[in-house]
Amino acid sequence: MPTVVNLVVGVDVINKLIQQIVPLTKFLFSIVFLFSLIGLAQDDNTNNYKKRVLETAEIDLLFSYYNQDGQNAAVSGGEGTEELTDATSSIVVKIPLNPNDILTVDAGISAYSSASTSNVDPFDKNSIRASPFSASSGASQSDALVHFNPSYEHSSEDRNSVYSAQVYVSSEYDYFSIGFGGGYARLFNEKNTEVAASFQIFLDKWIPQYPVELRDGFSDSRIMGIGTYNPAFEAFNDETRNSYALSLSFSQILSKRMQGSIFMDVVSQSGLLSTPHQRVYFGDTNDFFIEDFQLADNVEQLPGNRFKIPIGARLNYYLSDLIVLRSYYRYYSDDWGITAHTASLEAPIKLSDKFTLYPNYRYYKQTAADYFYAKETAVSNQDFYTSDYDLSAYNSHQYGMGIRYKDIFTSAKVFTFGLKTIDLRFGKYDRSDGLNSYIFSLGTTFVGD
Amino acid sequence: MKKFVLLLVFTALSSSCVVVKEYDKVYLNDEEMVLSAKGSERFETNFQIYREAAAGANGGKSGGGCGCN
Repeated sequence: MPTVVNLVVGVDVINKLIQQIVPLTKFLFSIVFLFSLIGLAQDDNTNNYKKRVLETAEIDLLFSYYNQDGQNAAVSGGEGTEELTDATSSIVVKIPLNPNDILTVDAGISAYSSASTSNVDPFDKNSIRASPFSASSGASQSDALVHFNPSYEHSSEDRNSVYSAQVYVSSEYDYFSIGFGGGYARLFNEKNTEVAASFQIFLDKWIPQYPVELRDGFSDSRIMGIGTYNPAFEAFNDETRNSYALSLSFSQILSKRMQGSIFMDVVSQSGLLSTPHQRVYFGDTNDFFIEDFQLADNVEQLPGNRFKIPIGARLNYYLSDLIVLRSYYRYYSDDWGITAHTASLEAPIKLSDKFTLYPNYRYYKQTAADYFYAKETAVSNQDFYTSDYDLSAYNSHQYGMGIRYKDIFTSAKVFTFGLKTIDLRFGKYDRSDGLNSYIFSLGTTFVGD
Repeated sequence: MKKFVLLLVFTALSSSCVVVKEYDKVYLNDEEMVLSAKGSERFETNFQIYREAAAGANGGKSGGGCGCN
């Protein structure tokens, strides 16, 4: 459960987020209102009524608060605090440009405070005694990620074909990403069957923040150890990461109460797939310390290519007017030696016309990457190694509950937009290696008049 | 688990000839029956993408766009 310190940090993160989000939200509400007027004006020019793919503009305001803790930080070579707090706010605006076309803009900001990334430089003069189990006050202690993701969707006149295209841009202090994609979906068999294909390409760029002791010119009179600290470190030449993903899906109505889908991604990544600030300690070299913090022998080294294949399936069953069953399973395999299984079940319970409960459970299990080594078990003559426990073998359980309030009459208003739904969710995540986290999320949907 | 997937594929293919008419889709059109991850789940999916090696086949990003696994 959250400590007092966590809560203080969390409130600070949330305050910063609100200061940036509120003016942006007001501005976007105004823009959407203007676009809605343009859409309505275009409708007046046609005499033939046609059901629109999206009747009115919609605005989703989304917020989440995430907190985690653990003792296997990758930044400090698999041993150290993983304490992290993240507050994210997003706005998703859907605008019907005409009866067939929808423009969606998804923008957001994620502000986080991380004890482990603060230890990229654990020797900050303002910090307490340097240790992998405490945070420093270094520049990498907190940061924000912003993203902007517009997309466009066109439906054919008979609504049996849907074309889509999207662009994605995100930026944080050490990572920049730009991506684009497109897709096509075809419905047939009286809309009982759907097949879809889409692709996404991401062209990403690292701005590496190496551990401070590995940077040029580092020296410190407090270094303790046998011999001279002289790590075998070389900066990465290639700082780009490209990802290419092809997605295929098949959906089928199975009865009046049941439908399912099967989907598969084929993903190829190349470039810098290591994380430049994650330390590794070898078992065959001398140890050096400053105060209680062990100096890096190198940063993690991972292959420059990775090929992933996740295959998933959903099966939904309308059990009764009270309960719906939503199930999901995924098998994952990649050429780094990882296989994983994911299974989840959610059972929405309709308490009334306005309130629905969402109890849910998710199980996840993975094997370790071929290159994973616990602290000081890798040796210096190996080509590839990492002590990132996200790539180790573990399983996890996630328990959650959500509640939705729905008002089909949208009686509460903001400008001309009526409040349609409020979703509140909570999830608790426990991993077998000791990492624990929880997440609150809040979503509201407003619809235009 | 492979048997489960094969069973699912077989079920889907064997019943593809069953056609449910539009006027019989009242249960299927229920908002809880949607065959994708819901918008309210996006943040949970986000942290899972960061904390777990597996990603994708879920309608969201399956690689790239973040400094995660």
